[in-house]
Amino acid sequence: MPKRSDIKRILVIGSGPIVIGQACEFDYSGAQACKVLMADGFEVILVNSNPATIMTDPQMATRTYVEPITLASLTRIIKREHPDALLPTLGGQTGLNCAVDLARSGVLDAWGVEMIGCDLEVIERGEDRRLFAEAMAEIGLECARSGYAYTVADAEQLARELGFPLVVRPSYTLGGAGGGIAYTMAELREITAQGLDLSPAGEILIEESVLGWKEFEMEVMRDRKGNGIIVCSIENLDPMGVHTGDSITVAPALTLSDSEYQRMRVASLAILEKIGVETGGSNVQFAVNPVNGRMIVIEMNPRVSRSSALASKATGFPIAKFAAKLAVGYTLDEMLNDITGATPACFEPSIDYVVVKVPRFAFEKFKGTDTTLTTRMKAVGEVMAIGRTFEEAFAKALRSLENGRAGLGADGRDDFDEQRFKQLVSLPTEHRVFYMAEALRRSWSVADIAEATGIDPWFIHRMAHMVAVEQSLYSLSLADLDTDTLREAKRTGISDAQIAWLCSAEETEVRALRKELGVLPVFKMVDTCAAEFASETNYYYKTYDEQDEVRPCDRPKVMILGAGPNRIGQGIEFDYCCVHASYALAAQGYETIMVNCNPETVSTDYDTSDRLYFEPLTFEDVMDIVDVEQPMGVVVTLGGQTPLKLAWALEDAGVPIMGTKPEAIDLAEDRERFAHLLDEMGIAYPAAGTAESLEEAQEVAETLGFPLLVRPSYVLGGRGMVIAYNNRYLEQYMQEATKISPDHPVYLDHFLESAIEVDVDALCDGEDVYIGGLLEHIEEAGIHSGDSSCCTPPFTLSEAVDRQIRDYTCRLARAIGVRGLVNIQYAVKEATVYVIEVNPRASRTVPFTSKATGVPLAKCAARIMAGQRIAALGLPPDDRILDHFAAKEAVMPFGRFPGSDTLLGPEMKSTGEVMGIGRSFPIAYAKAELSIDYSLPTEGTAFISVADKDKRAFVSVANHLHHLGFSLISTSGTARVLEAEGIPVRRVHKVSEARPNIADEIANGGVSLMVNTPLGQETRSDGFHLRTAAVRHGICYATTLAGANAMARAIEVAQRDQTGSDELAPIALQDLEQWDG
Amino acid sequence: MTPAAKRSAILLLEDGSVFTGIACGASGEVRGELCFNTSLVGYLEVLSDPSYAGQIITMTYPQIGNYGVARADLQRDRLALRGLVLRAICETPSNFRSDLSLPDFLVEQDVVAISEVDTRRLTRHIRDHGAMSAIISTTDSDLDSLLQKVRATPDITGINLVREVSVAEPILYAPDDRAWDFLLKPAPPSRYHVVAYDCGAKRSILRNLHRAGCRVSVVPWDTPATEVLAYKPDGVFFSNGPGDPEPVHQTAQAARELFGKLPLFGICLGHQMIALGAGGRTEKLKFGHHGGNQPVMNLRTHKVEITAQNHGFGALFASLGELIPAESDGVREHVADGDLREWVQRGTAPVVNNRRVGRIQLTHVNLNDGTCEGLAFLDQPVFSVQYHPEASPGPTDSHYLFTAFTRLMDGRADFLDIDVSADRLAEWR
Repeated sequence: MPKRSDIKRILVIGSGPIVIGQACEFDYSGAQACKVLMADGFEVILVNSNPATIMTDPQMATRTYVEPITLASLTRIIKREHPDALLPTLGGQTGLNCAVDLARSGVLDAWGVEMIGCDLEVIERGEDRRLFAEAMAEIGLECARSGYAYTVADAEQLARELGFPLVVRPSYTLGGAGGGIAYTMAELREITAQGLDLSPAGEILIEESVLGWKEFEMEVMRDRKGNGIIVCSIENLDPMGVHTGDSITVAPALTLSDSEYQRMRVASLAILEKIGVETGGSNVQFAVNPVNGRMIVIEMNPRVSRSSALASKATGFPIAKFAAKLAVGYTLDEMLNDITGATPACFEPSIDYVVVKVPRFAFEKFKGTDTTLTTRMKAVGEVMAIGRTFEEAFAKALRSLENGRAGLGADGRDDFDEQRFKQLVSLPTEHRVFYMAEALRRSWSVADIAEATGIDPWFIHRMAHMVAVEQSLYSLSLADLDTDTLREAKRTGISDAQIAWLCSAEETEVRALRKELGVLPVFKMVDTCAAEFASETNYYYKTYDEQDEVRPCDRPKVMILGAGPNRIGQGIEFDYCCVHASYALAAQGYETIMVNCNPETVSTDYDTSDRLYFEPLTFEDVMDIVDVEQPMGVVVTLGGQTPLKLAWALEDAGVPIMGTKPEAIDLAEDRERFAHLLDEMGIAYPAAGTAESLEEAQEVAETLGFPLLVRPSYVLGGRGMVIAYNNRYLEQYMQEATKISPDHPVYLDHFLESAIEVDVDALCDGEDVYIGGLLEHIEEAGIHSGDSSCCTPPFTLSEAVDRQIRDYTCRLARAIGVRGLVNIQYAVKEATVYVIEVNPRASRTVPFTSKATGVPLAKCAARIMAGQRIAALGLPPDDRILDHFAAKEAVMPFGRFPGSDTLLGPEMKSTGEVMGIGRSFPIAYAKAELSIDYSLPTEGTAFISVADKDKRAFVSVANHLHHLGFSLISTSGTARVLEAEGIPVRRVHKVSEARPNIADEIANGGVSLMVNTPLGQETRSDGFHLRTAAVRHGICYATTLAGANAMARAIEVAQRDQTGSDELAPIALQDLEQWDG
Repeated sequence: MTPAAKRSAILLLEDGSVFTGIACGASGEVRGELCFNTSLVGYLEVLSDPSYAGQIITMTYPQIGNYGVARADLQRDRLALRGLVLRAICETPSNFRSDLSLPDFLVEQDVVAISEVDTRRLTRHIRDHGAMSAIISTTDSDLDSLLQKVRATPDITGINLVREVSVAEPILYAPDDRAWDFLLKPAPPSRYHVVAYDCGAKRSILRNLHRAGCRVSVVPWDTPATEVLAYKPDGVFFSNGPGDPEPVHQTAQAARELFGKLPLFGICLGHQMIALGAGGRTEKLKFGHHGGNQPVMNLRTHKVEITAQNHGFGALFASLGELIPAESDGVREHVADGDLREWVQRGTAPVVNNRRVGRIQLTHVNLNDGTCEGLAFLDQPVFSVQYHPEASPGPTDSHYLFTAFTRLMDGRADFLDIDVSADRLAEWR
């Protein structure tokens, strides 16, 4: 059946900001879908609030709305754009939930919009666990025994029927949020209470535990003719009990025999048929009892998911692209397999390698939270690696994580908690595999470790193999290594860095020896068919085998190093920049080579660049590719810290670095040299010093005076950065700081309190400078730029300050020698402009700035790196006045990390960002807020409790809220100030005072807005409890004065909009001026 | 394995290509035709499949032996393959059904095997240059000597390998239901009696016939039709088997004699026997179909089945007779290059006029290369498929064909019209 001719305009909903459980895999899938639908002649209307996505590039769709993904917002867009169809299955749970809202509220029917790819009943049968369990029973498949609870008492009753342990899953939450495993009645009560709160339906499922069972996933595709295929099977290394997003997973499934696998296969297809998935990709999860093979169905997602992105990258089979085509009427047998270019898409990929995915965590950012892995996802990103054996793939994945590890231990970074060693072998944490490896070194048996962990012995045997090979090198010297020994080590995935550590040598010496002995890798193709057919696609991975398959090419080649796994501080923004560079350089006639290891991204789509290398971003792995490809240049400044930290080593190895040179990067990052430069140029910067010990730090503190901004050198996302207000805190910090970055000193800067921070993204070609945009932060200096909200163009800067910032930017970019992008952070205090830092590379804000101004900065940067001048790029004047404002707001993951504080500070904690566009700053900011919280409180009670230093300044905000109709409540201190100002306020007890107190009011739902600013360096204070309670109960809150002020203005806009002002009317990017880089 | 314990081995192809590796089974030297199998799982079913008689199998999946050896999965107790080529073998398997490790099993069964080979290089070589003879040796490392030996290996074309693997005497199939209790529903009582020509039948085919309600008498490949008729069966089945079908005259002759007398069903070589019996011809494929992901279009339902396949020869649809335009979308001439995907495009199941049996319909076509995958006689109760509905290993989409055979024995004209979806979970527990 060819494509449907009765639909022309298709609405695609994205997944919004990057949050835990929903990351850039949905940009990958959405971008694929938009691309294929546009190519097929459809008009695509896209809605996604996340500006850092490729899918929201204006060329990707006919109409692009960077607007909140809410019922109200989508309704407005539907009314304006009249789509014929809505494709809801590519925007993750967010997109699906929004589609459900649109269907249930009758909007789709009213405007004649057909849901394609999936319908409401299917979503309900797939997501409602009761309906799902009934459907499974009808086709004779088992689910875990379970029941629903709507109250804690229900849960207790079920516990008595089912017995402990029990798995608690709230209905309709993302990535298992609010779920958990209860071993006791007390734990059950706690998790139940939390889960009922978080579930939009106020419903939780309580399920028989299948802890310790093997967990599998099947990625399935189906078309309207009923053809069904399995794209990929995935086996979790971690047994049931750890969320699949937090599990190390392997593709294909390795420990199932054929008959067991085939049963799972037919069950998956039958489940799709039973649930009624007419077309598209779905994911089905199973648990298998390792003792007797009993199989139960865990769940099914009737949409493209994180696992389907992984499966697509693991097999080369583009699930999202085909899901989109199937939704518009094509069938699987009509489509060609892209990778081979010759065989039909209606087949099941056969692969001849092993794929391992390892999640990336960021617990170091969230002190006080439980780091045990549970059924509730906590990973912030993931890496994937390909090898010819599990050992090789696993080792590659572990060194891809960007956490300083070079493999499965034996890299000089092992650091074991001896007191808790035994416990940490068995407890599922991000470190468990390292403890398991060490246990093997300490002669634990495989059976003992299997018993302790519940992990299938197969995986432990493989780890034992890795450890045995590694240990065979231990205490040898490089001179002892012969070809066979070295070759076996490399075939087992041992990295050069590990060999260097094991043999007390330098990594470069290991590399030289390998070359001398001829122990060289080859690159093999990912081709969907295990080499049965010739393949057209240059998608490669490295291994140690005989035959290399890299095809020669005559065109000049450029290599772009990607950003590695998503983590806090380094997310989708850098992938966006790399993808743009690839597009721009391809358009200039270069053969583009992408290197990255993050399966969630657009950059690792096989058709983004001419050649894709799915490899770790380490010196060894990058150099191996350089050796084969011999690129004329390597781009290191667009993928964030990951490629940047390789810059020197690559240059030392003779690799041509494109754009800004490592020397220039060093000039900007070396504090002393940079300070010297600023002195010479007569540009102000906060007084600063460095220290390698506490004594030195105290000396610096004496000279500069408190407060001090303290941080280790070479950090990402402000890791380990704090503001120290006194000596005691400084002392504590220095004690902990040594762990963070032992090779580098600690920096101490005088902290500019209450300064306005401004970010600038600019281009420089060596002579000319183009100011991409000035971003004025909402929160005052001291909050990490990744966590603060901002607005462009600036809305409070004087012309003089604006001019001075532009002038400084031009001079600095030239002086440093930038060729490409530069980001400069300024603090403005009392009309003085201070330079905080200069990053001669793409910044996190590049996609936002580009979308806000219509100038694709990353593409321009790539062209500059390829030798073009700014004057040749055809850009508009950089001082033109925009007639709209764009606000960016950060999205915080605190809900995932109960127990960690929600305060903003110099250390970045956000996972993603949203953008709002409007005719004024408050409108833009209101849209950004709506994109995160889905609604703004426009009435009700506002609880206000502010630090003493903020009390005076806060009065105007309180007054504003009062005039907006909020009833104000406060604890004694704040209340006294408001009463004195004549603002009506009701007093409530503090948490530490008698009950009922403010905590009770929050729990009872009596508070719709909370403002709580911190009192310096408090830890477990009243404020902490209130903020965490606000997160738990989903209350809109602000923890800074500036944030509260902006919030009040946004609420005012929302109120007016409700009464018909239409200020929040959606704006399509295509209606703003756009330039093509 | 410690380096000292490793025994090196060599794989040499008749064109002189050398692959070195480590011996991972029995010691010795074996020669045969080299082929590759792309199944991700099911190595045990593959290497115990009698259709591999005379062949050296390369598994393209690089890590083999992970779930060990469960003897219940064996397709035959005596292995017929000549040798095995792997990238890596697992000595420490994990699965609750595993009886022993694959390396131990290979030694027990005296299978010469080589691992640590760049199997992808080998696969690409076979893909580009076609199936060819090869030798694996753990005892001789002299390449010239090995090359002489491999060049002296007779081509399997024209050789009757079936006689090596068929049963010597008729036997009654003994069900092994208990081994499958964990996975499959209890087998129904037998309502039919089927005689199965054993050209090297996989045990899972007999199990599937049994589970479809058949009592199965297994007879040697060269059993005359008259003897089969003496069993008074409800139907006759022609099994899979190794190598070139053309020299397997007796079976094809028996099929010819049985046409019109009883319902017949053939799988793989059995399908070729039916085609030959109808006067058709077969061809040798470049490197055959060996794997579990071959897409096959059912021209009657227009649905795709993902199938398990294992054959190096195929039946030629055009050799069965002239097209009947009225039943073939008006087409008079067979496609010149034999690519039957033409019929997929047309959405038609074409029919030829066969001088022996009347009308024969093309029911199934391979979507990868347009070869013939299934036939149904329209004037006699006969049908056959080139692929393996019993899977083992591989997808079970085509399980419905066993049900179809029972419907054929019931005399139903619509015996083949079964919805794959409805049949999916039919026998799984």
